[in-house]
Amino acid sequence: MITVKNLHKSFEDNNHVLRGVNYHISPGEKIVIVGPSGSGKSTFLRCLNLLERPTEGEIWFDGQCITDERVDINHVRQHMGMVFQHFNLFHNLTIMDNIILAPTKLKLQTVEEAKENALKLLTRVGLQEKADAYPASLSGGQKQRIAIVRSLAMNPRVMLFDEPTSALDPEMVGEVLQVMKELADSGMTMVVVTHEMGFAREVGTKVLFMDGGNIVEENTPAEFFGNPQAPRLKEFLSKVL
Amino acid sequence: MDGLKLWLAEVGRKAYVAFIEQDRWKLYLKGLGITMEVAFFAAIIGIIIGTVLAFMKLSVKRNGKPSFLARIANAYIDIIRGTPSVLQLLIMWFIILSFCRNKILVACLSFGINSGAYVAEIVRAGILAVDKGQTEAGRSLGLSQFQTMRYIVIPQAFKNVLPPLGNEFIVLLKETAILGYVALDDLTRVANQITSRTYEAFMPLIGAALIYFVIIKILTILLNKMERRLRKSDNR
Repeated sequence: MITVKNLHKSFEDNNHVLRGVNYHISPGEKIVIVGPSGSGKSTFLRCLNLLERPTEGEIWFDGQCITDERVDINHVRQHMGMVFQHFNLFHNLTIMDNIILAPTKLKLQTVEEAKENALKLLTRVGLQEKADAYPASLSGGQKQRIAIVRSLAMNPRVMLFDEPTSALDPEMVGEVLQVMKELADSGMTMVVVTHEMGFAREVGTKVLFMDGGNIVEENTPAEFFGNPQAPRLKEFLSKVL
Repeated sequence: MDGLKLWLAEVGRKAYVAFIEQDRWKLYLKGLGITMEVAFFAAIIGIIIGTVLAFMKLSVKRNGKPSFLARIANAYIDIIRGTPSVLQLLIMWFIILSFCRNKILVACLSFGINSGAYVAEIVRAGILAVDKGQTEAGRSLGLSQFQTMRYIVIPQAFKNVLPPLGNEFIVLLKETAILGYVALDDLTRVANQITSRTYEAFMPLIGAALIYFVIIKILTILLNKMERRLRKSDNR
């Protein structure tokens, strides 16, 4: 579903963040990416929907090379949901308008359809009574659940999560992970950058360890945590587990 | 007691000379009309020019360097901010638009062009102050750059922009006091003329100052009200 070939990304200050990443993600997989900060895991994720433009390499999504300049990236992004560390709900809109903005403005659904769909999704995460509230009145956990719903309203084929629980109070991490678990169980293809090792172990089909701008180790959760190979990974796990 | 009576009579006479005699209050009113007219239309021109300049300034080439449009906008802002507005007014009236005999029009244009440079910086700062995450969220949903601007960034930027924009309008309103340089009878010039005609400075000058003050006070109250209404979504 997503194939990454020789992905490089360097920023203006000659900071070479990604150094030739290759990877393939099949439909239905739940890829969990862990690693120390500065390892390039967030940049890698943000390259997948071209929020960061790679300096070199190719990304293929559903048989289309999306790094090609001629590809309409807005159209590609309609099929790739993204959830951010800081939620990024639109402050100027109510929860309902946050959710239906993209589907209606992109003329994928009528306002009525979008609202009906939004209510269904809100009910699924237990927040239907917040439809007319503004984001400022919600807790972090509620905001993140809404952000997930907002992405799902576009019926994406893959969901990208960029440290979705890192900005949350510890008490609220559980409710967000629960929503993500249910999403995983429904068969959604997911790529998750996180520090939640429990989530990686339980939900991931593959766990990746990134360090120094590349994937250092990739394995099933059982092998990854039970029998790590790379010394850097062993060191990392000994600190976080 | 007699001293006080005499003093009061004197004040009354001066006020009579400054405001009532020969229907002079009509002159102040007319002057205020010109001041407000120029300030109002100049503000509209300024907001239009300023908004266009702000977007020009924000446009970047793919490699992140300022675009050609951004360079033009920067040059405009440099020139306008680098010269006194009195001179700009004189240059417009005596040189650039010397063929145009409509003083009000020239004044509105001159002040509008001047204000545009300052509004450009206000609008640009207001847009840049919107969290980058808002744009990223919009783009990640598949909205175009334009749609993201239109539905997400600009409504939020508007809230940031309103207070400094109100401030800019107040500055503009007072700056029109230099209209006398091109012989337009704005409030300040009227007060000055009455001073030289009646040989009494106190009443006309303080009177004109009070009028400015009251107008601006009213504006301030209106702006605060508007701002509060716009902040609604922040704490509901």
